[in-house]
Amino acid sequence: MIEVGLLTIEQKDLLLGQQYATDSYFNPIQDLDNNWVISTEEIEQNTNENFNWLTNLELIEYKPKEVKIL
Amino acid sequence: MATNINFNKILGVKKIAISIKSSSIDPDAQAFITAAAITDPTQQSAINTLVVGLKADNLWTKMKAIYPIVGGTASQHKYNLKDPQDLDSAFRLQFNGGITHSANGMLPNGVNGYANTYFLPSTQIANADSFHFSVYSRTTLGPFVPAFDIGASIITGIDNDDFANAETNAFYFIQYFGSTVVKNGFYSATASFIDPTSLGLYVGNRNSTGNITAYKNGVLKNTGSLGPSGLAYCPMLLMGASVYYPDLYPNPNDWSASVGKRQLAFATIGVGLSNTDNTNLYTLVQAFQTTLSRQV
Repeated sequence: MIEVGLLTIEQKDLLLGQQYATDSYFNPIQDLDNNWVISTEEIEQNTNENFNWLTNLELIEYKPKEVKIL
Repeated sequence: MATNINFNKILGVKKIAISIKSSSIDPDAQAFITAAAITDPTQQSAINTLVVGLKADNLWTKMKAIYPIVGGTASQHKYNLKDPQDLDSAFRLQFNGGITHSANGMLPNGVNGYANTYFLPSTQIANADSFHFSVYSRTTLGPFVPAFDIGASIITGIDNDDFANAETNAFYFIQYFGSTVVKNGFYSATASFIDPTSLGLYVGNRNSTGNITAYKNGVLKNTGSLGPSGLAYCPMLLMGASVYYPDLYPNPNDWSASVGKRQLAFATIGVGLSNTDNTNLYTLVQAFQTTLSRQV
């Protein structure tokens, strides 16, 4: 089971365009239930002190949206 | 090998020192080594040998972007060997989401990690019938795991959420149901082959000979019929493929990313390659990976 960090919309907006480490940007996405989430890699590799609160995020099971393949 | 010649002359009270240094490092290799702050001599040598080989085999000019993915960090992996500037216009990678960088390459998390090349096929490729892209994969996946490695895709003909009549203008690799699928052009332009291990160098190619071709480790694996030419106007991604639905979103910047799951250790984008080019490219890339002790 893959886990991801659950974000509020306000938290998602704070992360957009920001780096969690040098040359690595946060990428909040929506899961199958339209929750905003980020990966545990972004949480664990975060070196940006502005986002130390990430370690307190609730972790939930990742349910991906369906990939359309043509 | 460096050659140093020192001339010291005493002319009256003046001592003139002339130092001539002749370096064997190719200037393009040196520019990349400097930009990416590659200090390891083995890595430096591997990069130089790669550049010299690409030039000797007439591959260098056929490449628009080359990603050696060497050094072990995002700040080193981001650089394009053909133009090692820290600029979007130089096709420097921007990493988004969860990616693990190491000496073996870059591994996306399969959730939201990918790299944007900023390479727009529609503006960067002059001839839609001369185009290639490649990746070197160090990961093999299970048979039912779709994973995009590189690509850009425009999907049209969608009615609300109904994809029944959808068509795609796509350029990508994907491993899917135990096969590797290459699309290079419209939906009909597809080459796929059974591929249970998904390790090594993959090249998707389209050239003026009238077909698209899929190569693995320098070997032609399949040829697909050439559909109508088309070039996507959303960016090529690494460790993923951009997907844009113009029928749903008016702004071309509103593309989304289908992500990958395989560790990549090399990638290129450029014009179409011949059979000989593919053989030579594999020989060079495999030697490069072997020097770096990460060959598969």
